[in-house]
Amino acid sequence: MQSIKQLMVLTKRILKQNLTNIDTVITVILMPLFMLMFFVYVLGGNIAMDGVNASTGEYLKYALPGFLLVAMAMGSAYTAVRINLDKTKGFLKRLHSLPIKRWVILGSHVLASVIFMIISESVVLIAGFVMGYRPDLSVGNFALFVAVSLLFAFTITLIAIPFSLKANSVESAGGFSYIILMLLFVSSAFIPMDGMIKPVRWFAENQPMTALVGITRDLLNNNFSFTSSNSLQSFVWLIGLIILFSLLSYRRYKMFSVKL
Amino acid sequence: MDAITVKHVRKSFGNHSVLKDMNLAVKRGEIFTLLGENGSGKSTLINILTTISLADDGEVQIMGHPIMSDAGLIRENISLNSQTVTLDDEFTGYQNLLIIAELRLLKNAKTEIKQISERLNLTSFLNKKVGKYSGGMKRRLDIAMSLLGNPEIIFLDEPTTGVDPKNRVELWNIIKEIRDSGKTVFLTTQYLDEADKLSDHMGFLNDGKIVLYGTPDEIKKNARRFVQINVDSPNVNLVNLPEEMIISKNNKGTSFVVDERNTDICIKILVNENVSIHSVVPQENSLEEVFFNVTKIDSEGN
Repeated sequence: MQSIKQLMVLTKRILKQNLTNIDTVITVILMPLFMLMFFVYVLGGNIAMDGVNASTGEYLKYALPGFLLVAMAMGSAYTAVRINLDKTKGFLKRLHSLPIKRWVILGSHVLASVIFMIISESVVLIAGFVMGYRPDLSVGNFALFVAVSLLFAFTITLIAIPFSLKANSVESAGGFSYIILMLLFVSSAFIPMDGMIKPVRWFAENQPMTALVGITRDLLNNNFSFTSSNSLQSFVWLIGLIILFSLLSYRRYKMFSVKL
Repeated sequence: MDAITVKHVRKSFGNHSVLKDMNLAVKRGEIFTLLGENGSGKSTLINILTTISLADDGEVQIMGHPIMSDAGLIRENISLNSQTVTLDDEFTGYQNLLIIAELRLLKNAKTEIKQISERLNLTSFLNKKVGKYSGGMKRRLDIAMSLLGNPEIIFLDEPTTGVDPKNRVELWNIIKEIRDSGKTVFLTTQYLDEADKLSDHMGFLNDGKIVLYGTPDEIKKNARRFVQINVDSPNVNLVNLPEEMIISKNNKGTSFVVDERNTDICIKILVNENVSIHSVVPQENSLEEVFFNVTKIDSEGN
């Protein structure tokens, strides 16, 4: 019970830092909104889908799931920044010398990160609604959509941890998020893969973001099936990345502080 | 019972041995200062004493509790101030203090924050964002965070580094006041005058071991002593003094410093050379000289 209370204190601290920091709010909330509007209202009408230029509404329906993931990916940079700041300014050391269980310290960063990413995703989803997006989903699919979002947020948070603990400065800590963003851009998130050159298309088809955008799209469009290629690939990627980065995070954190 | 007991502690990072058979005892209710060059292992020792890292070998007890088995209990009785201030600039001073109070699960957090803020003259700044604080104020607030929960031992890792002289003196008064309230202060510093003024006991850490231990006066008294011999006029006969005996000399050749043990031999040589001796003055030992001699002696392997 004491640990839960301490977890809440630390989680609240990080969320408050994120929501009161103008730079964070611009990057994680306003930037995805701007990108969504730019892609939909400026580029969307020029993108061919099934051989015909898409309407704004059609493009919005196609691209919104990708922007939901972009919003979360941008949040992961700040997860890394917050952990790194706590490390470099000695706050982690102070916490480690206090009567707090070790898992609470890193757990608070994970929890705050997932909550912040879901807030960011929700803002983009609401903006999509305002712009005319209407998903077609059942209660079951909505619950699965929330579950996939939470899993994705958890996964990219775990990816952020070893980078943030290893980086010597705040500037380099958030750099890994560009890799996630790059993967989203070279996927089916914003444009169909048909027009990509062969090697790029092969890469796009076989990297995790395409499957994750696909499952999100399937859930929001009521096309979801547990046995579809998108679903199977997404679960394999997510579980694999969670296992891999849990181990890497644990190892890196253990190097930083012993468990006594 | 000592506040801190360290017996035969060793710590290495890869092939680099940082602490070699370290032994130390810090009494309750005193200010103990650990001195040493950069990279001598001061922070490594603090990390071990504050349960952040483990020694490879040896025994550590804090308030009589072994660190390996009673880490949780020890953490309730200690607090750590790192070399950098650990404050959140976007929060007010009060909010920073409240986070630590809540993490320590204090029942009367507000009252304790009020009392500590008054003790450290922080009350008028408490509702301002920390980003607007001066360096000295930040240090004070950082120390205030360490006092929450009434810990028995406060570890202060170079608390005055980068602080202006006025605030440094204020911090010294705060550190003394913490000691006077019955707490034990474990201090590291780069400033020897600070160690001289504040410490009840101090230790010099060099090459992974405590090479000198005592009160500042004891250390100065027991250290190698020197005398300054002044002669009336520059005299070429000075060259007849063995070079290894001269610690330093002035440019004119009218004054030179030798080890106190060599005074008689030097005077005898000078008299034999008909050099007129004006005065022989014992040198006041400063901690700085002691520190440089200790590190010099050790690096030369003597």
